[in-house]
Amino acid sequence: MMWQGMWLWIALVLIAATTIVTRGSFIIPGERVRLPPVMQRLLRYAPAAALAALVVPDTLLDAGEFDPLNPKLAAALVVAAVCLRTRNPWLPFLAGMAVMLVLRKGLGW
Amino acid sequence: MNDAFRRGAREGFVACIPVAVGLIPWAIVTGVAMRSHGLSVVESLGMNLLAFAGTAQLGTLPLIASGAPLWLITLTALVLNLRFVIYSAALAPAFEGQPWSRRVLSSYLLADGVFAVLSERLLASRDRAWRWGCFIAPSVMCWAAWQAFTVVGVFGAEALPRDWSLEFMATIALLVMLVPMAASRPMLVAAVVGGLATVMLRGMPFKLGLVAGIVLGIVAGFVAEFWQQRWQQRRSA
Repeated sequence: MMWQGMWLWIALVLIAATTIVTRGSFIIPGERVRLPPVMQRLLRYAPAAALAALVVPDTLLDAGEFDPLNPKLAAALVVAAVCLRTRNPWLPFLAGMAVMLVLRKGLGW
Repeated sequence: MNDAFRRGAREGFVACIPVAVGLIPWAIVTGVAMRSHGLSVVESLGMNLLAFAGTAQLGTLPLIASGAPLWLITLTALVLNLRFVIYSAALAPAFEGQPWSRRVLSSYLLADGVFAVLSERLLASRDRAWRWGCFIAPSVMCWAAWQAFTVVGVFGAEALPRDWSLEFMATIALLVMLVPMAASRPMLVAAVVGGLATVMLRGMPFKLGLVAGIVLGIVAGFVAEFWQQRWQQRRSA
């Protein structure tokens, strides 16, 4: 039991180490590690690509299978439309969750 | 605490409110998941304080629960965190002139949403104090929101409604950040290619499809920018 408790904490510290090592990989060494300008121009596209890589699978897949006709895609399209029309920070959440809950719980989709 | 720091802090804070809102359901889910994978309350809170990294936490919990070897747990956490190498490289110039302690603290705090919303502003500003405020204020806000709502999940694991699809709020938050970003043609190309490539590569082990999808999206955006410039030059010639 003693060892099991220790093992878990070692695992947690190792997980923590991977988060610092990756996030600090360029921030911590600073000026000593410089990226060539071409790389810096490439990386301007990283946020958009990363966000889409997290969002799109969630809206197009249902339980790991390709299925575009699902309530999540409908709700996501409504959220995108709301974002294009208003800068209100809460409205996209209200509209998206409303569509989601009406389709899931109201219509049983 | 000079004026530039405060202005930066305010701008970053306001811009990242949707990010913090989007973290709430993730934090609750992560809190519930740690308890349901057999971690005690103290272990759950410890994991949360040591590693401020929802994806890596959720991804390694099944391995911890099944008693997988330490090297496999570490490798999985490393791969789930690989996207932060990209963020770190992109954001590094914004920390120019900052002491080592702030860089380490920032590395601990760096989150997807904060990077996505603020990287362009952080890299464009020439004021070091403004940049520091604009990064640290929203980062601490997101960290505090994450810690607070993970505690809600840890202690309220039984009482929360499970059929409300609350986890979808995280997706909404990401979309709220993505839509204004995709305004330029090359950015839109990067987003569309990154998203669809990740869907097509979903079969790769350890979520490596996510890393590959991001890389393909970046390259596609860069190529689109190149073509756009050539086309504009030809029109003006």
